[in-house]
Amino acid sequence: MTDSESDTWSISVVRTGGFAGLKREWHVGSADAPEVDWRLLVDACPWSSVARQQPAADRFVWRIEAHGGNRDRRATLGDANLVGAWRDLVDRVKTAAKD
Amino acid sequence: MVHGIVPPYLLARIAELDDERFAVAAQAARRALRYDEPRRAARLNFSLDASNNLVVELTDGPNRTISDAQNGETLPGEVVRREGDEPTGDPAADEAYDGLGATFALFSEVYGRNSIDGAGLPLDATVHYGVEYDNAFWDGERMVFGDGDGEIFGRFTASLTVIGHELAHGVTQYTAGLEYQGQSGALNESVSDVFGSLVEQHSLAQSASEASWVIGASLFTDEVEGTALRSLKAPGTAYDDDVLGKDPQPAHLDDYVETDDDNGGVHINSGIPNRAFYLVATALGGNAWERAGQVWYDTINLDLAPDTTFAQFAAATVRAATSRYGGASAEVDAVRTGWSTVGVETGDDDGLRV
Repeated sequence: MTDSESDTWSISVVRTGGFAGLKREWHVGSADAPEVDWRLLVDACPWSSVARQQPAADRFVWRIEAHGGNRDRRATLGDANLVGAWRDLVDRVKTAAKD
Repeated sequence: MVHGIVPPYLLARIAELDDERFAVAAQAARRALRYDEPRRAARLNFSLDASNNLVVELTDGPNRTISDAQNGETLPGEVVRREGDEPTGDPAADEAYDGLGATFALFSEVYGRNSIDGAGLPLDATVHYGVEYDNAFWDGERMVFGDGDGEIFGRFTASLTVIGHELAHGVTQYTAGLEYQGQSGALNESVSDVFGSLVEQHSLAQSASEASWVIGASLFTDEVEGTALRSLKAPGTAYDDDVLGKDPQPAHLDDYVETDDDNGGVHINSGIPNRAFYLVATALGGNAWERAGQVWYDTINLDLAPDTTFAQFAAATVRAATSRYGGASAEVDAVRTGWSTVGVETGDDDGLRV
């Protein structure tokens, strides 16, 4: 496998809950935003050690999936846990999906 | 220093009154001044009785503090308005202040509950949370309101039902403690929608037949095809929009949505108990906060299990209606019919921990 194949990424962010209970989804493929180092953003997130969070009234629930680098990763986070590397990744996906 | 509407020197004067006519006020003032009790706000009502005597009554009052996060995500933010302060001129801060007052009034005047915890807990809210933040929530201690993105949502303080909804989450936390997951989570949401709607109805003095029975009217911008976020009267009909899709709420147990999203669809399946409440309130007529609201308020004050199901909650409302109005009452009939219309049978198992 060549480097370019292993650096093909498909990332989705699904936001549910919130007062409105409206579902919002953002998807991005690495081809949509080749200038972004998606591997760096994805690897910075602690996928295997997401803290279990008590559900909180009317807060958003975030489901994040990243396919690429020969691995599938998936995490569900409460809104209060969407900080640091998670927040960076989600913000980049939302921005790239908007363009 | 006690922050309240009644200044301490006036409380002290009232406390020392040695006059039969003011015995209640004097006792209340002495209680309010006692420093070993939690500090609480109070309201003085002055009126004249039939013999033209001045009657002074001391009643519970809210203790509100509104903060401004200035579009950051650090709570609580900077305090912009305390209890008794003049309006700030910022619509979000002033709507939050007034909305908390209207919510306090419903619980205090109608159900005799002094604030969220029943013991005068201060009401704290933060406005302007985050950037274009499309949400309002209760974080266990305070209500937090975003400004909305300006394209789909405007500011979340614009609807009194939203403010009542958030404060009611606090009341549920201190009473029924319904777990925010699955059916008990949908009940938790429904209780907030019910009391959010009742706050608005009580504030506007609307009867059950006059009320809009919607949650979050005026939150959507003009771009959105929809009147509100949810309808208690007709769940599933609040909006139908090209971008947002259609309101996904079911109105009957047969259409209960099983999902992992949104803590098990708590904002979706709340449509079922919401409609049950609407049916009870309209069957009884008059003001919804009086009989239907009283039954629901009594129910959340029962010792419900955290994982209470729809059927158990329904049975608990029958128990509450029976103990307040009697087993052969119109209230009990309305409650049973309301639940069976949405497909929830009211059996004997109310899951109470007694």
